[in-house]
Amino acid sequence: MLTWLIWFIPLLPFVGFLLNLFVIRQERQAGMLASATVVASFVLALVATVLLAGLPEAERRVQSMAWEWIATGSLSVPFAIMFDPLTAVMVLLVTGVGALIHIYSIGYMHGDPRVVRYFAYLNLFVTMMLFLVMANNLLLLFLGWEGVGLCSFLLIGFWFERKEAAAAAVKAFVVNRIGDAAFILAMLAVFSNFGTLNFYGMEINGRWVPGFLERMPEIFGLRFGPDWQPIAIATGISFLLLIGATGKSAQLPLFVWLPDAMAGPTPVSALIHAATMVTAGVYMMARTEQLFAASPATQSWVVWIGTFTAFIAATAAIAQWDIKRVLAYSTVSQLGFMVAACGMGAYAAAIFHLLTHGIFKALLFLGSGSVIHGTHETQDMRKMGGLRTAMPTTFWTYMVGAAALAGVVPLAGFWSKDEILAHAAAYGYWPQLAILFLTSLLTAFYMGRQVALIFYGEQRDNHYHPHESGQTMRVPLIILAIGAIVAGFMNIPTLFSGMPAAHLLTDWLQPVLHEEAGKFNLVVAILATAGAVGMGYLGWWAYTSNAAKVKVGGLDPAYRYTGDIWDGMQEAWYVDLAYNRMVVAPFRSFSATLANVFDKQGIDGMVNGVGRVFTWAATEVRMLQNGYVRTYALVFTMGAVLVLSFMLFVTR
Amino acid sequence: MSLPILSIVLWLPALGALLLLLVPRGADELARRVALGVALATFVVSLALPLGYAPADLTGTRLAPELQFAEELAWLPTWGISYSIGLDGVSLWLVLLTTFLTPVVVLSTWDSVHKEVRNFQILLLLLTTAMMGVFVAQDLLLFYIFWEFTLIPMTFLIGIWGGENRIYAARKFFIYTFAGSVLMLLAIIGIYVLHRQALVAHDPNFVGSMNFSRIVSDLRSGNFTLETGIERMLFGAFFLAFAIKVPLWPFHTWLPDAHVEAPTAGSVVLAGVLLKLGGYGMIRYCITLFPEASRWAAPAIAILAIIGIVYGAIVAFAQTDMKKLVAYSSVSHMGFIVLGIFALNMEGVSGAVLQMINHGLSTGALFLIVGVLYERRHTRELEDYGGLWKIMPVYAAITLLVALSSAGLPGLNGFIGEFTIMQGAFLAPDLGWPFLGFAVLGVVLAAVYLFKMFQGVFMGELEPANAELKDLSRREIATLAILCVPIVLIGLYPAFIFNSMQVSVGEALDSLVLLAAGR
Repeated sequence: MLTWLIWFIPLLPFVGFLLNLFVIRQERQAGMLASATVVASFVLALVATVLLAGLPEAERRVQSMAWEWIATGSLSVPFAIMFDPLTAVMVLLVTGVGALIHIYSIGYMHGDPRVVRYFAYLNLFVTMMLFLVMANNLLLLFLGWEGVGLCSFLLIGFWFERKEAAAAAVKAFVVNRIGDAAFILAMLAVFSNFGTLNFYGMEINGRWVPGFLERMPEIFGLRFGPDWQPIAIATGISFLLLIGATGKSAQLPLFVWLPDAMAGPTPVSALIHAATMVTAGVYMMARTEQLFAASPATQSWVVWIGTFTAFIAATAAIAQWDIKRVLAYSTVSQLGFMVAACGMGAYAAAIFHLLTHGIFKALLFLGSGSVIHGTHETQDMRKMGGLRTAMPTTFWTYMVGAAALAGVVPLAGFWSKDEILAHAAAYGYWPQLAILFLTSLLTAFYMGRQVALIFYGEQRDNHYHPHESGQTMRVPLIILAIGAIVAGFMNIPTLFSGMPAAHLLTDWLQPVLHEEAGKFNLVVAILATAGAVGMGYLGWWAYTSNAAKVKVGGLDPAYRYTGDIWDGMQEAWYVDLAYNRMVVAPFRSFSATLANVFDKQGIDGMVNGVGRVFTWAATEVRMLQNGYVRTYALVFTMGAVLVLSFMLFVTR
Repeated sequence: MSLPILSIVLWLPALGALLLLLVPRGADELARRVALGVALATFVVSLALPLGYAPADLTGTRLAPELQFAEELAWLPTWGISYSIGLDGVSLWLVLLTTFLTPVVVLSTWDSVHKEVRNFQILLLLLTTAMMGVFVAQDLLLFYIFWEFTLIPMTFLIGIWGGENRIYAARKFFIYTFAGSVLMLLAIIGIYVLHRQALVAHDPNFVGSMNFSRIVSDLRSGNFTLETGIERMLFGAFFLAFAIKVPLWPFHTWLPDAHVEAPTAGSVVLAGVLLKLGGYGMIRYCITLFPEASRWAAPAIAILAIIGIVYGAIVAFAQTDMKKLVAYSSVSHMGFIVLGIFALNMEGVSGAVLQMINHGLSTGALFLIVGVLYERRHTRELEDYGGLWKIMPVYAAITLLVALSSAGLPGLNGFIGEFTIMQGAFLAPDLGWPFLGFAVLGVVLAAVYLFKMFQGVFMGELEPANAELKDLSRREIATLAILCVPIVLIGLYPAFIFNSMQVSVGEALDSLVLLAAGR
């Protein structure tokens, strides 16, 4: 039964997409239909998960093939999806958070002239994201991977009249494409080494074909590349996948698109650019865990990329004024945590953090959307202040989200982040642990700062009258806030011996990730909580007591203490600028030179040159035909002499 | 004797052209309708081809390419030249692409051709027959005649209905491609003579044969062998003609000129089908007749192909004229096709065949799309547009779909072809991963230039000059929607094309397999 049931999970939102695209023209119907399909998918996902849990642990993987997608020569790729414990939790996150954000969008997007299209895009996104997490092979995963990229483009550029939205949308797509190119290369390499792109074994045309993840030993010791620098194949493939992940999951060096992506509508930022799509890279690394585990070289890259991204993005988050950009950099930073966890081999912890982060970051984004909505499209935190009285629900739910992100006990973020830190401590990743710990202190600080700037003090710009948002927006906030409080308990560590219901998630994922639950580290936990509370308070205190110094269009109160460093943080250490100067601008001029000089005058010049040689030769030869008999007689005589002498002397 | 379906499909457009001569000169609407009727009829009849095609039919000798719908009539029996046509799994889909695109092209003439409408349709239909002739001809001389004949209508289409610089572009198109194929004629004669000499030794009464299958089977059975040097020269002569037609870098400069000057309908035919003649020729003639030389030249050709992929994409990015941008994107895409062919394996070649169809659909559609704007505003400069999404949503949606197909988004047709080609090149012992490192650059850059175009036209502020532009008319929607159907279909279920070409591609590669076994 599961084999056909699971098809409905991605297909329902797809039907919603088609209906919204071709049939529906009314705002109300579009929102209701789009939400209904995703809610239905969520319910189905719950049913499927329950059914899956009913199976014995070793059999918890259902695969279902619709048709053979590509089949030519040796290349054979099925159009097939699967449902296993890892997929189940991802599907629940995507459809659960997705459904709430759909409902929220009904209120948020009310009155937009293109709202039907908005819901169509959102439905398509959910479909693609579900294919991404349900695919049973790399190529179908890639279909979802690029599909969500397309939806991201469409939704970032939803208000395409705005120049920066258009530019951000294209930038997101193109930067992601760089990662995708590496992904394609990885797939090619996987196929040529294993002859299949399926993750796990499945029956195709009556024949059992094992998946590549189960055949890792075959490539142990195999190398490619020049003799002076051989590269292990496992390293090559996993490194390419890592590049793919840095694109989609906004890691160094490809994170630059995510902050700009905030030009899209806020629910989109919540769904795509915080809770689901950007976590695809982490999901992919967890899914192909065996491949990464086979290459210690790649793993150390993974852990360092994650760690540095976490830290750098956290510093950038401190210095932003735009309410959404703070959250965007915070997302990059939290993704860094997850990637670092993958690099340390703590995949269960990474997925745990992915899930809790999906909930509380969606909450924060939706909260910020509520703030933006209630302040008439204000995004600059300098124009806010004192909003807690006007929007109490938003304030309280935002506080929950902020505390969860900062890692305050016992909210969701505390448990998942602590698991990553505890793993780092247990396996001796000391330098990474230090940096990640510092990052979590910065996280608490910038959330304290943000809460202070938005909700405390006096309203600094009186051009608007703040108001609380409507029911459709408040209910999802409350549900997510409850989630942010309790979600941590799905994988709570064993605090005392004999504790029931500990490590549920890790145990559930065990058949996929093959991981034993880590030990609870009391020292790290206490330090982290103390740090979070302390730094959170510090951030809050610094910006409430200095609230008078925050001026519309002015500098940060901390600016005079930090100066240039603050500028650097504000610009995310000029990575974007460096790309513009070192990649984009040279590419433009190179391309112009190639087109206008090399192609026109070089290659085409040569072609026309050949033509001109013939024209010239023809003109010259024409001179011989001058009509004078004496010339002809001369040529005739010379010719006769030549022929005769040839006959006489050469061919004798 | 059953109905000669293939001949009917082949000559129906030419008959239609004759019929059009009866239409009075000024009756534009009538001429268009007659042409459309003929094109549709041809398409409908041609549907019998894939339906009647038996993909896994392995009967008959394995030594010669498997042919179906074969017809043969003696033509010049003294020299062994015949009217011999037939279909295999590769030409089947290219013929279908031609008959599918022709009605689309005729539909587009309602908006893009305004003078001498009748004559335009006549040339178009003649061109259709000529192009199909290249795909179905099984006699070398017949092939050559069809091949050269395609030049004549196309040259006039550019030279009479083209833009400002049309004479220059038409002349360049004609001379460049003609010069390329002259050597091919020499090579055809060379093969004919050598083949006769070799076979007369066995059979003194042999008069020679231009029959493709005959020559291939003699080559494979060892009755007819070519010296390495001679094989390479003959290969080179064929290859040059095809490389110019494709066009492979650095023989591409005629293409942007021809495209920019050609009327929309001409561009669609040019990109949609005419360039495919080159790719088809490479598979059919270069690889099948000269396996050893193909193998010898493959790495060098693949290098040209990847240069073309990257170069075409970079130059496309610099263009401000949309038509030129699409033209250079063709150079990049056709580079993929050549790369796939010279991977010399099943995956690469079948991917290349599929990609020829894909390119015909999506680039054809892109030219139509550019044409839509040109008819409304008479400019193709990107800077004259912006923000059109607001007032032309249907147009934007279709453009996006086509652009994504061209950029290789999985789920649409372009990706299937590109991925299969890349997999083939990756698996090819003579190529391998360093080639792919460059080829994927083309995938990235395709997104860069196509999204540059999309952003420039559809996003940003709406210019007042464009505020009155109308969204697509019903006819325009129909024209483009027809193209969108296979774009999605092939993306999700390419099997219906791949399946029927397996045997034929396998046979084209057979000589390579024999070669590898002989070593």
